[in-house]
Amino acid sequence: MPRFGIAIDATKCIGCHSCRVACQNQNGLEFTETFNWIKDKERGKYPSYDKEYVPLQCNHCGNAPCERVCPTGATYTTPEGVVLVNKKTCVGCKYCMEACPYKMRIILHKAGIVVKCRLCIEMVREGGTPACVTTCPTQVRIFGDLDDPNSEISRFIAESGAEPLRKDLGTLPHIYYKRS
Amino acid sequence: MPESAWGWLIVVYLFLAGSGSGAFLAAVYCDLLAPDWSKSLARAGSLVSGPLVTIGTICLVLDLEAGLWEPWRQIYLAKNLSSMIAWGVIILSGFIPVALLYAAALNEITFVGKIARKYIRIIEYVGSALAVATATYTGVLIAVVNGVPFWNTPVMPVLFLASAISTGLAAAMIVAAIIDASTIKTLSNFALGHVIFLAIEALVLMLLVFMSLTRSTEAAISANMLISGVLSPYFWVLVVLLGILIPFILSIVEYYEYGEMPKSLVIGSDLLVLMGGMSLRALIIFSASPPQII
Amino acid sequence: MKKFGMTRRKFLAGAAVGSASLVASSYMSFDAWAATDTVAEDVKVTPTLCDACGNWCAINVYTKGGRIWKATGNPIAGLNKGKVCVKGHAMLHDVYNKDRIKTPLKRVGANRFEPITWEQAYREIGSKLKDIIARDGVQSVFLVQYPEGNEDLTNRFMNALGSNNVFSHASTCFLPRNIGWWLTTGAPKPEQDLENSRHVVFIGRNPAAGLQLRMLVDMAKAKDKGAKYVVVDPRFSEMAAIGHQWIQIKPGTDLALLLALANVMIKENIYQKDFIEKYSVGFDEWASKIDYYTPKWASEKTTIPEKVIVKLAHDMAEAAPSSIIHRGYHGAMGTQYKNSLQLVRAAGCINGLLGSYNQKGGMFNAPKVKLGKLAPEKYPGVPELDMPMSDGSGDPDKYPITPVGLGITQAIPELALAGKLKAGFVYHNNPLRTCPNPARMIEGYRKLDLLVSFDYVLSETASLAHYILPESYYLERDDVVHTNHCYTSKQVAIRQAVIKPLYDTKPMVQILTELAPHCGVGEYFGFTLEEYNRAALAPLNISLEKMKKEGVIDLGGEWKPGEPKFSTPSGKLEIASSILQDLNLPAVPVWEEPLVSPNSKDPYEFRLIHGKQAHLTHARSINQKYLKEITTLNDIARVWIHPERAKALGIKDGECMTISSSVGKGRARAKVTEGIHRDCVFLPSGYGVFAKNLEKAFGFGTSYNDFLPTYFDPVLGHVMANEIIVRVEKTQS
Ligand code: SF4
Ligand code: SF4
Ligand code: SF4
Repeated sequence: MPRFGIAIDATKCIGCHSCRVACQNQNGLEFTETFNWIKDKERGKYPSYDKEYVPLQCNHCGNAPCERVCPTGATYTTPEGVVLVNKKTCVGCKYCMEACPYKMRIILHKAGIVVKCRLCIEMVREGGTPACVTTCPTQVRIFGDLDDPNSEISRFIAESGAEPLRKDLGTLPHIYYKRS
Repeated sequence: MPESAWGWLIVVYLFLAGSGSGAFLAAVYCDLLAPDWSKSLARAGSLVSGPLVTIGTICLVLDLEAGLWEPWRQIYLAKNLSSMIAWGVIILSGFIPVALLYAAALNEITFVGKIARKYIRIIEYVGSALAVATATYTGVLIAVVNGVPFWNTPVMPVLFLASAISTGLAAAMIVAAIIDASTIKTLSNFALGHVIFLAIEALVLMLLVFMSLTRSTEAAISANMLISGVLSPYFWVLVVLLGILIPFILSIVEYYEYGEMPKSLVIGSDLLVLMGGMSLRALIIFSASPPQII
Repeated sequence: MKKFGMTRRKFLAGAAVGSASLVASSYMSFDAWAATDTVAEDVKVTPTLCDACGNWCAINVYTKGGRIWKATGNPIAGLNKGKVCVKGHAMLHDVYNKDRIKTPLKRVGANRFEPITWEQAYREIGSKLKDIIARDGVQSVFLVQYPEGNEDLTNRFMNALGSNNVFSHASTCFLPRNIGWWLTTGAPKPEQDLENSRHVVFIGRNPAAGLQLRMLVDMAKAKDKGAKYVVVDPRFSEMAAIGHQWIQIKPGTDLALLLALANVMIKENIYQKDFIEKYSVGFDEWASKIDYYTPKWASEKTTIPEKVIVKLAHDMAEAAPSSIIHRGYHGAMGTQYKNSLQLVRAAGCINGLLGSYNQKGGMFNAPKVKLGKLAPEKYPGVPELDMPMSDGSGDPDKYPITPVGLGITQAIPELALAGKLKAGFVYHNNPLRTCPNPARMIEGYRKLDLLVSFDYVLSETASLAHYILPESYYLERDDVVHTNHCYTSKQVAIRQAVIKPLYDTKPMVQILTELAPHCGVGEYFGFTLEEYNRAALAPLNISLEKMKKEGVIDLGGEWKPGEPKFSTPSGKLEIASSILQDLNLPAVPVWEEPLVSPNSKDPYEFRLIHGKQAHLTHARSINQKYLKEITTLNDIARVWIHPERAKALGIKDGECMTISSSVGKGRARAKVTEGIHRDCVFLPSGYGVFAKNLEKAFGFGTSYNDFLPTYFDPVLGHVMANEIIVRVEKTQS
């Protein structure tokens, strides 16, 4: 069984938001609902001024606080390490939204349930690639199997020293970042 | 990135569940220790406890979304025992009937009350355990949340328990003063309870805030919001001054004046405690600040 | 894990089965999140071309249960290489936008319209047009368009009438860029082999927001291989975010930097001598003038430290010939400054010093496809017109090198006010919002006796039109065969309807063929779109059916590095331009001051510069809710200002500023950032819609055009859009 993850090379992100809307379409989300965010961060003064765009989405934590606090068990981890929410049993208590240290969950008020990035699970199980990965013009994201040392993602992580955001929080994310 | 998912309904829930269980404890304490002529506080406490917790729980349910309009989903609510909400559901479903039964027993309401009267001690012991569990649980509920470093500390349940007891006591005293005017003297004895628990609350709150200032950047952001930031006027006025300091002083006066303090001041001081407890929970919820992730 | 190995290309090849239905038996299990997903829905895939901006990327559009769902990029398409940008995804939704025009409309009052039939519209337009032509002559009729795709047919319509007054957005966008490259290399839009470039300098060009997807795909790959990107811009653009070095420059002085770079390369003998000797003319003349433009001189003009300039010249020379200055677009090398033309010329010449023409990682000319034409025996061709346009384009005495067919679009209101233009057609363009000085634009367009728009929403311009003949949305229509995807190889592509028109709208080609007889030029339009397209494809031996099935077809003919070729008068890279010489203009690139400069002593005075954001296209995209949400969520419509300048004016981040120029006044909130030169404020473009019927967009933000006086560059006539001095103050509440 693979363990899916995404490596994000933030040094290549231009903040275009293509990933955001590709994902909204893929998942039938309304314009205010999203599974990914692009945050920018400015540093320094000219000539060493720098601005970086960081794409954010659910980290599919290996030790997911959202899953731990979910009273109904609606949040669960698939054998591939993908954290999902069962639409049929979520009650909308929003405890998971508070628990997620990355604040990567949203509530769909119409459906009354909490949702988040699903790693495009149906597509990837069929051999496809998540929508946010394919659409990115600068190929910021690399999708693949973290357990296969020869996969593109594993090699990228090894070479670039990419790390999860806030590793110290101990949630064991499956999303790795190369930062500037 | 949604900043905060919980709002007023959860605040009210935390407050009512806390003060409801506090009122239960006050009632049991009075029933066990006070002289026979002075049991109106026990009666009042037992009468408010169940309803308060019930209303609180209704707030919690109202805050659900899919679980509200498709109520059958609620059967899943206790499925995952690593979730504090699941434990909350279990504790509350034990505590609410016991609290209601206690009210019936102590006040001999209906034949159920009369039968239950015989087992009053058992109800008191079991109920007290559940009340402590409920009050503590409201703190643990948010203390386990890694998503908000400010909440994520073992001090939180202690604070919530202390606040639950003082607000519960206040609720019981107000009702007691209303149902029985002659009870003011008893209440003066119980003012000592306020003095003690308000003091504990103040100490724990201080501990929480000061520890937060150094614990992590995000906890410090929350703490600063309270002591010097946007929420500081509410914090200093509603929680510290009106919610703790003034009732603390009034309670000391009340205790020494022994039954001489005007009823309106007694009730007023208790109302302030309630308001303070509610504000405290609101401010803790609304000062949540997530980890800085980039 | 075998399944996972299936390539995306194979998947798409399998998926792109034209409009043939493909029922998705998507993987479904209890954990699938949407209950509705468990019902296998009818998913169809149609290859077509996007129309969210002018690139026309090749996309595969998915419908689910007959409703537009999503799009993926066609991996073979030269322009987008499998990608779809944010606008491409978002504009899919706008087929369902309630602001759309649903039937032909006739204006019956200020911003009041009444639905009419196509027949009535054609009849009334035809008879009015004939009257105007009889009274004022056919040159009083004009067309303003976005010249792409259907332009062959719209031009045919105008030429059939006898008018060559065909305007485009060129003079507000790219005119100097095209003319500069054409004068220097003979090709108005040379390509660059970014995938193999080792060092690229961007002069006010921001391909990360003025998106062209293939450039980004190539650059991302090259970056992984070690290519270096240097971004010269007054502000830290999105391109700078992925570049290696940001050189902050005083706006309007890029030409000085380029002259100094040439100075260093020539003085230090680090240019490609072989190339210059063999393939260029005018080097000695330039070299004799270049002495003056020392790095020290340029440093004073540009505010860039001398050693940064020298080092840049060294870095560029070292990576030659896979080292280029990017060819530019709308930025400094577009229509922004009075010296833009000289700037483009200088860039072309420096790329010569780097010897990068037709080299791996250098500049090249994309292979071209020659499409077939309708048989003239059956369908008479239109008469050739050989005369200047009414605005002076092509007129030896006015704008001799501004091409007829591009025109100077901000001249239209002036010409209308002077009584020279009486009737206009507006296609795929919104001059009222995209041209300078809207008050003047409105005044001029109001003066017209007949204005016909083909818009699909009531844009600013459409709101003034007498008649609107609504074109179908791009997802609802077929268009002509298209060759824009030629990049490193020859490609043809086609747009086709993904769904049936939702309302009473028609494809442009059909509107033209139906309108033509009423205007007296029916004989030139006796064909259908299908016949037109079949004739276009005939020489390529491709059937229309195959074309539609595949969306994009690659015809090979790949570009290979080799001997450079220039189609200039001399057949060489013209460092000294014979054409400019004949016009008594400087033959080699020399310094020219910008038109205006802010007074550096006045704390309130700034130059107003603008630029694109990746998620917005010109004037219409901000009406799209998914796109507008990106702006509001990230609060990115703010105007950038340097912290020290802001402080001097008492302006804090997020506070409201009042900005005024000689022609306009507006408000914007401040983004106080180190990422901008202190001499200017930066206004992101795409906002300031004043068309009341565009509900989402109306009244949101402001546009640089609101502050820009109507200028005409003396050589080309373009707008000089960054030559604006504004006064910035804290808004007093
Ligand atoms: S990022 Fe948040 S939502 Fe995603 S798995 Fe981790 S805790 Fe859960
Ligand atoms: S993996 Fe899929 S669901 Fe997650 S952010 Fe990317 S597109 Fe959205
Ligand atoms: S599509 Fe790619 S470049 Fe654009 S915002 Fe997303 S990650 Fe960044």
